[in-house]
Amino acid sequence: MDYIDPHIHMVSRTTDDYETLARMGCVAMSEPAFWAGFDRGSVESFRDYFRQLTEFEPKRAAQFGIQHYTWLCINAKEAENVSLSREVIAMIPEFLSASNVLGIGEIGLNKNTKNESTIFLEHVDLAAKYEQQILIHTPHLEDKYQGTRMILDMLVQDSRIERSRVLVDHVEEHTIGEVLDRGFWAGMTLYPVTKCTPQRAADMIERFGSERLMANSAGDWGPSKPTAIPDLIMELKRRGHSRDLIRKVVFENPRKFFSQSKNFKADALHSESASN
Amino acid sequence: MSESPKPKQRHAEQVLTEEFLLARSKILDLAATIDRLQRADGQVESLEKQELLEQGIKILLDDQGEKAKRVQLLMSRQYNPQWREHYGLH
Ligand SMILES: [Zn+2]
Repeated sequence: MDYIDPHIHMVSRTTDDYETLARMGCVAMSEPAFWAGFDRGSVESFRDYFRQLTEFEPKRAAQFGIQHYTWLCINAKEAENVSLSREVIAMIPEFLSASNVLGIGEIGLNKNTKNESTIFLEHVDLAAKYEQQILIHTPHLEDKYQGTRMILDMLVQDSRIERSRVLVDHVEEHTIGEVLDRGFWAGMTLYPVTKCTPQRAADMIERFGSERLMANSAGDWGPSKPTAIPDLIMELKRRGHSRDLIRKVVFENPRKFFSQSKNFKADALHSESASN
Repeated sequence: MSESPKPKQRHAEQVLTEEFLLARSKILDLAATIDRLQRADGQVESLEKQELLEQGIKILLDDQGEKAKRVQLLMSRQYNPQWREHYGLH
C-alpha cells in the first residue's frame, strides 16, 4: 500500500534505507530539522544542515521515486542556547523558498524549560510572519504530558495560528485527546521503548477515529525502525480494518495536511499512486 | 469538517483469543523483572521508581477503564496551568 511518512530523519539513514522504504510503498516523506546527536557550535553548522535537507536529501530520495520534504528550525535540545537559537531563526528565511520546505519544525520542548519556551514562541512568531505550517515535537517520557500542555497553551494564545495548519507529533494515550479536541492534527510516533508501538497506535485509531490523525516512524539516530508504518498497516489489517481506513491514516491524511503548504506537490503524488 | 465514522471494534472473544499469548508473555516479562529485582544485591535506595511500578501494576488490576492513559499520567510530571507566570513569559 502507498504511504507517506510525515516524520522521518533521513540524514541518519543509509541510501539502502531509501530503497527499502520505496519497496514497502513509501511515496513521500517529510523530514523535520532535529538534533545531530551533539550540540552544534555555530549558525554556519545549521546553514550546512539546511542545505543538506533542501539540496542533498531530496536528490537521494528521488533516485527511488520518493518525494522528500523538510521543515526547518533549531530543535528544543539546542534551544537552551538562546543566542545561537536567535541567529538560526534569523537565518531560516533564506531557505523558506527552497522547493521542498513545508514549514517550521520540529519545534517544541524537551525538558520544558524557560529558554525552550522562549525559543518556541520565537519560532511560532517566525511561522506566523511567513505564513508557514508548523510541525511540533512533544517531549518524551515523564516530560511529555506537562510539555504538551505547555505547547498547546502557547499555540492557542497566538490568534495568528491556524490550528488546522499545525501537526503535533509524538502523541500518546494521555496527550492525543487534548490535541485533537483543540483542532490540531496529531501524529503518533512508532518507536521502540520510549514512544508508541504499532499495537497501541492501532488502539488510538480505534478509540479516536481517523480524523486529523497520522503515524510516523521518526527513523532517527536512536534504535528506531524506518519501516514502522508498514508494521502499523499490517496490524490494522490483522484486526480486520478496511483498506479505506488504513489508507486515510497513512496516505490521505498526510497528503491533506501537507497540501496546505504551497511547496507540496500533491498532483505529482497522485499520479504516482494512481499508477500502481 | 466531515467526521469519519469510528472504526469498528473486534468482538471481545476475538480480542482475547488473538491477544492472549502476547499478554501472557508480557505478564511473564514483568514477573521475571520483579524476580530479578528481588534477587539483586543490596537495597533500592530511591524508592520512587519502585513505587511508580507498584502503583502502575495496581492500575492494571483495578476496576476502572483507560488503563494505558492512567499509567501514562502516573508516570508523568505534573502540569501547572500557571507555568507562564512562573517563568515570567506572557
Ligand atoms: Zn523527530
